[in-house]
Amino acid sequence: MPLTVLEAARVIGNPSVYEDENVHAIYEEIAEHFSSTRYKPWPIIASFLSSLPCGFIGLDSGCGNGKYLPLPADRPGEVWTLGLDRSGNLLQIARAAGATGVKREVLRGDVLETCWRKGVFDYAISIATIHHLATEKRRRCAVKRLLEAVSPSHGRVLIYVWAIEQDELSKRKVFDSSSGGVAPHKGKDVVVPWVLSKEPRGKNKNESKGHEQTPPDNEEPKVYNRYYHMFAKGELRALVEEAAKELNLSITMEQNAEGRSRGLEIVQDGWERSNYYVELKLWESIKPRGF
Amino acid sequence: MVRLITHNLLACHAKDCNTNNFPLEFKDIQLEIREAEFNSDFLKGFMPKLEWKALVDTARQLGDTSLPLEQPEMVDDGFLKSLHHVLLEIHVEEGSMTCPNCKHVYPILNGIPNMLLAEHEIG
Ligand SMILES: [Zn+2]
Repeated sequence: MPLTVLEAARVIGNPSVYEDENVHAIYEEIAEHFSSTRYKPWPIIASFLSSLPCGFIGLDSGCGNGKYLPLPADRPGEVWTLGLDRSGNLLQIARAAGATGVKREVLRGDVLETCWRKGVFDYAISIATIHHLATEKRRRCAVKRLLEAVSPSHGRVLIYVWAIEQDELSKRKVFDSSSGGVAPHKGKDVVVPWVLSKEPRGKNKNESKGHEQTPPDNEEPKVYNRYYHMFAKGELRALVEEAAKELNLSITMEQNAEGRSRGLEIVQDGWERSNYYVELKLWESIKPRGF
Repeated sequence: MVRLITHNLLACHAKDCNTNNFPLEFKDIQLEIREAEFNSDFLKGFMPKLEWKALVDTARQLGDTSLPLEQPEMVDDGFLKSLHHVLLEIHVEEGSMTCPNCKHVYPILNGIPNMLLAEHEIG
């Protein structure tokens, strides 16, 4: 399989307009094909959702085709996830996710906005979404929205983003070595091609796998270049810590003058199959002073 | 669709709209009733997150009067069955939701509520 060397992206002008053209418009176009290649839940996300107690409600911010909405599959009806995405076409697919005939509930909205009562969710997940935001400030804002969406006393959050450090089995490589080393905590802005062939769909369901790189010949494929910010080692954790600071959440246990404290615990962070992830748990305590 | 479990979470987020922005008002709606599996533990776990008055008022607007005005302290099976139906079985398929404060209209198109704002409406 040929190795795709990803090209650098140059984000120019208004980042929101840039994302409209280089992310949102593309997902509308490739929704059906993209969805057919995204069906397998990643293990850490599946086990996070399995660990949630009965009665929890959550938000999947950037739910795409909704593959996480039916989870945990072995306990239907015990937890409930609301899907949010900007792509109406992906949401139409997400509504039927899980193929059990149960309609999933989704909203068309933006991950940088808050169209719910703050703190009302017990958990929030953001999978392969924040890396589509074109500035550090907007990525930090998206993390803040997740932290604000969940309960300050017990809310749980799981975030997944693409890593510069790609899996050995990955078909991608970020730049060539001539572009220089990667500074710590600084990711890379790249464009990732999505090749959509004009072949009639549904002919061969198994053919969809290889489409993230080279198309078969003689097909006049259309190439869509999506914007990604690929995260460097330590960058996701640093982003979370910055977001927490701006929301006055401490990462370690400490109390302010009123004996009240709010914070978050980093439950785990790591790398899994070309992605960085971080799992967070919010906490709140009110302790009497003067003892 | 929008079920009342979702409606009870949603608030207007237009620029400078911070008070009296909940609950959104349904208008011109089409309803469908679809059965869902009953799970009393889920309901009991979810109940503390509910805004009760908003739920009861909205259910009544949609023609369901099975819920008491005050959230009961003791819950029995009959109550949980009513709550289950109101939260999880009434589907608003088409129509819109209007903010009681700024009157922004969020349309429900092809079964999906559109909460996106135009650039100038974002706070
Ligand atoms: Zn409003």
